[in-house]
Amino acid sequence: MKHIQFFLAVTAVAIFALSNLQAADIKVIANSSVGASSISADELKDVFLLTTSSVGGAHVEPVLAKGGVTHEAFLKQYVGKTESALSTYYRSLVFTGKASMPKSFASENEVAEYVAKTKGAIGYVSAGAAASGVKTLDVK
Amino acid sequence: MNSKVSRMGRMVLGLTVIVCGAVKLGAQDISNYTNFTVDGKTIQFHGFASEGFAYSNDNNYLTMNTSQGSFAMTDGGVNVSTQLTDNFRVGAQIYDRNIGELGKWHPTLDWAVADYKFRDWFGIRAGKVKTVLGLFNDTQDMEFLHTFAILPQSMYPLDLRASTIAHTGGDVYGTIKLKKRGDLSYTGYAGWKSYDKYGGYVYGGAAVGINVTSMPGRQFGGDLRWNNLVKGLLFGASVMLSPETVNASTQVAPTVTYPYTIWWNDNTVAFYTEYKVGNLILDGEYRRETVGAASMVGPINNGGFYWDERGWYVSAAYRVAKRLELGTYESRYYPMWDQSHTPPTNHIYDTVAAAKVELTDHWDLKIEEHFMDGYGLPYSFRGFYPQENPDGLKPKTDMLVIRTGWNF
Repeated sequence: MKHIQFFLAVTAVAIFALSNLQAADIKVIANSSVGASSISADELKDVFLLTTSSVGGAHVEPVLAKGGVTHEAFLKQYVGKTESALSTYYRSLVFTGKASMPKSFASENEVAEYVAKTKGAIGYVSAGAAASGVKTLDVK
Repeated sequence: MNSKVSRMGRMVLGLTVIVCGAVKLGAQDISNYTNFTVDGKTIQFHGFASEGFAYSNDNNYLTMNTSQGSFAMTDGGVNVSTQLTDNFRVGAQIYDRNIGELGKWHPTLDWAVADYKFRDWFGIRAGKVKTVLGLFNDTQDMEFLHTFAILPQSMYPLDLRASTIAHTGGDVYGTIKLKKRGDLSYTGYAGWKSYDKYGGYVYGGAAVGINVTSMPGRQFGGDLRWNNLVKGLLFGASVMLSPETVNASTQVAPTVTYPYTIWWNDNTVAFYTEYKVGNLILDGEYRRETVGAASMVGPINNGGFYWDERGWYVSAAYRVAKRLELGTYESRYYPMWDQSHTPPTNHIYDTVAAAKVELTDHWDLKIEEHFMDGYGLPYSFRGFYPQENPDGLKPKTDMLVIRTGWNF
């Protein structure tokens, strides 16, 4: 019985540690025009689902990566859709005249560069990525 | 004969070009080529095209010669749009189709909108705007968004597409956050309805001696949907009211043709739900359409009529692998709800099994089998027409559909 309790405790700690590790692997970045220094997970989801276009009163636009581990982790953790489901969602808006396709880039460097130079841009890169000229948003 | 061969040759050539283009471009990152900048503004353009093949056992369906196998199932569209300011965007899309005798390669303005979003909870759109009605009315042409090659025809009849697809007028729309209870999205609209002289009303009307020349009418209504009350759950309701006039002519004697005018109020209500969990998507919709009409044939009062038609479907789609989705639906349509549903003239049931393969991010292939029961009334204008079935209709129709689509 003690073995089982020990096993469950270790498993819980491991899951907790892994989930935090995964969260820490992603850095949400924004153009300096975005006044907020933090963003809630719900707001972040709304930005990337195009249901809101402002954060803290400032106009924002989402910027995506075209693939990769960070991209997949971001979609899973914050957007709640798979790559395929998100693509279908965006296209349903674009082809009915309700939105434009968000910008997406092949590399983290390109994401960071675009965010740095584009007013209101919000993107994501891996935690270790060098991203100069952008601010990092805390996700609450 | 030569012209038929020549037309077939052009079709095959066109299809070959589309498929070759899809194969070549489908594997590339096309998004690099869908943006350009003019005067500092980014302009996006996107498009899609699809080609289908339908093969049925007995009855010919959707104005195609499906009993012999038909490739006459092609459509496509292109759009262009730009964000002029943070809150203001404009765009337009052209759509064209050739499905048997429907569309006949006459391009139409699908939508053309100016959209100003004041807040997340309030925006306005004006122009020719896609109508929100049920889950998929506004996206019904974009096969690449759906698991199925042909959507449930009880809800989204290809022949009557124009009567619900878009209105020329304006919308108000918005999304209201309900904190932990999800969000409410609303749309309200008013305008003039679309008309397709290459659609089912005109084609089917001709078969019953009514030569429709125009159908001017207004259209107003709304949609309210509640997202994520429970994670992944959507449910909503739509209403559409269409007072309109049908201008037609009819032959009353061998050499005498009279104008035939019908004034009707066409009212539709729809209730729908969608639940997404993991790789599973469950959909269900119910629709009721009532029409009350008065008519004149020349100077003579031709009396009125009323019908109450209803339909529903349930569907399930499951992504079994990254690029493979399997789906099924059961669709039921009753042209005269208040009469016996037993005769094949008063129902169309369609049981469907489908597979969708995403060959690339921008190219899909679908294989689908339909098991249909019944064919509806001559006035249903839902797939079965006397022109393609001069020897009468059999009660059951089995049909294989293969459809491939490409988008960028």
